Amino acid sequence: MHTSYTTKRMFLMFPAMVTAFAFAIALTSERIFADTPLPQVLLVLHFSVFLYGMSVGAFGFLGRQYQERSTGYRNYIVTTPATLPMSFKRTFLGMYLRDAIFYVLLLLGPLSLGLALSVPWTGFRLTSIALFFTATLLTFLAGMSLSFFVSTLYLRSVPAFAASMLALIGLFSAYGLFHAVPLEAILPGLGFQYAVPPLAAEALPALAYVAASVLLLLGFLAGAVLLVEDRYESKTSRGEDRLPALETRLPLFRRSRILLAKELLDLRRSGTPLKMLFSFVVPLVFLSFTAWFVRNGLAVPVGFNTVFYGGMVGFFGVSLYNWLNNVDNVDYLATLPLTVPQVIKVKLRAFLLMTTWISTLFVLAISWLNQDTRLLWLALPVMFVVSVYMVVATAYLTGLKTNSFFFNFGIMAKFSIMSMLPDICLTILSFTVDKDLVFSVAGIAVVLVSLGITTVLLYRGIDGKWGRTEFGE
Amino acid sequence: MLAAIEARGVTKVFSGNKVALQGIDLRVEPGEFFGLFGPNGAGKTTLLKILTGQLQPTAGSASVLGIDVARSPLQVKAAIGIVPEVESPPSYLTSYEYLYFVGRVRGVSGLEKRIVSWLDFFELDGMRSTLCKDLSKGTRQKLMLGAAFLHEPKLLFLDEPFINLDPIFQRRVKDWLLEYRARGGTVFMGSHLLEIAEKLATRVAVIKEGRVIAAGSLAEVRGRYADLETAFLHLVGRP
Repeated sequence: MHTSYTTKRMFLMFPAMVTAFAFAIALTSERIFADTPLPQVLLVLHFSVFLYGMSVGAFGFLGRQYQERSTGYRNYIVTTPATLPMSFKRTFLGMYLRDAIFYVLLLLGPLSLGLALSVPWTGFRLTSIALFFTATLLTFLAGMSLSFFVSTLYLRSVPAFAASMLALIGLFSAYGLFHAVPLEAILPGLGFQYAVPPLAAEALPALAYVAASVLLLLGFLAGAVLLVEDRYESKTSRGEDRLPALETRLPLFRRSRILLAKELLDLRRSGTPLKMLFSFVVPLVFLSFTAWFVRNGLAVPVGFNTVFYGGMVGFFGVSLYNWLNNVDNVDYLATLPLTVPQVIKVKLRAFLLMTTWISTLFVLAISWLNQDTRLLWLALPVMFVVSVYMVVATAYLTGLKTNSFFFNFGIMAKFSIMSMLPDICLTILSFTVDKDLVFSVAGIAVVLVSLGITTVLLYRGIDGKWGRTEFGE
Repeated sequence: MLAAIEARGVTKVFSGNKVALQGIDLRVEPGEFFGLFGPNGAGKTTLLKILTGQLQPTAGSASVLGIDVARSPLQVKAAIGIVPEVESPPSYLTSYEYLYFVGRVRGVSGLEKRIVSWLDFFELDGMRSTLCKDLSKGTRQKLMLGAAFLHEPKLLFLDEPFINLDPIFQRRVKDWLLEYRARGGTVFMGSHLLEIAEKLATRVAVIKEGRVIAAGSLAEVRGRYADLETAFLHLVGRP
């Protein structure tokens, strides 16, 4: 489906980009290893891969959603057991395998290939790269399987899901806060990585970690498949007719208020805010982990202050906009006198209404946890401007098909430039707050004004870029 | 007299050089019930989408109620009613809310009365507060029909409107369409249900592989054959 929104060449450019990126990183590895030892680089990498696996493995949620909702002109493979002699368990297992292969070919394979291509310059051993690929694959599959398991658990029992999530947080806290559990025990793939070349050559522990990894992922996978309901029956949901009342509560939005009211109602009834919250928490946990790791693990005295977090929270707005585009199909809008830009702009308004408070709460909570509330006056405007800029830039680039267009190399490259430049500027400036406040604030102000102007230009450009596109195209 | 629909050399080529329509010429007069037939993949839905401003033609032009479709698709959509091929109302609105939404987008006056009237027409009162995602296919189709009729447009584009409807509602919708035509409304319908179309259509066209291979009154297209179905099968080369 993703390839239908891009050309085959552009789609294949994505793994090519990952290969090139890995190759470039490998070439600079000597400098990286001078500052950060290899085991710690691998730790961050495995942690990232694990979280990525978790973020793409929640089929349990998606399966039900695609079975229930209107899909317009599209058909989903997950719904085929309803008409063919297949079981849902088998279909879900097939989806897991399909996606595992997809991400190996799209990410892990190209990543290892990039490292392999650097061998003539870096002197990396091909066996070490092969072992690295195996280790990251184990960690990625562990994340994917865990996510698959907890998402199916959620559909059976919300309390059991909450308990499993608490257990997971407890495990990571036991490692991060109390050093009571080694990370290798939680991520056996990392344990395997530490037991094989180039770090060590301990055959027995390595085999034990592989066995543990395989058992872990098979256990989660088996649990998930067992939990998938094979007799699927749609629940009939009755709602109250809330749209008219909600529309009258949005007088400020005049012409778009009916669209906005529908958007907000869709979000509420589809349970999307919970998913949005989750997709906000995962990168923030990762960010907090990285900050903690740099400060405590590497003992690098970098000042990750509230302004830094304000900017980062703003950048995470992209994933929230993506969720707004995944609530329901919009094919039926093609029959009404509406345009794609109108709907994009309504989604942007919904984004502001739905997420500003979430972002604000996160920044407040982080500043409070880090005992750094003194910089909130600067961090909150940074968060707000960056959020709006990021979401408008994403909307401009991807319209109503964010997830699919991000697999287009050209769009991904533009997005990377548009997000990384301000990100780097704001990160560096945030680090200088305590050294030279005036310089830092002036610099941040210049960045924010530039982002503000760009936001207005991109917002206006949405009409031109998407005006001739039809819903469903 | 201004045509209700006029297509001049409408051609559509999709990516990968897939030719869907090749120089379609059509003229539908106001007050006509026009039936468009063709085998699967002949280009019926593509033509309907172009005429309703949902797709841009690769070449040629079309006007609907005197409005250039390619230049002013929104004006066209505001003036007409469309029942799409796939019944996919928004998943998370109730039946009532969907009609309310459509009515508000179209700026329909006296909306509450009209919604109640269409819910009543399709006997949807008991399901007015059920979310669309939980409705049966037939009920969704009724809702799509209600949404297209809600603003009582001068021209209706219907793509397989009777599919999924039970005989009771097929009859009810047929009767309503005949009344609508009697009041001066124009209908353009793409369908495979030749028996129904034969009872409703005043003029028909048959397309095959993106070209019009026959067009005219029912009697003209039927020609020497006993019914439209037999004529159709001969025309498309599957007697």
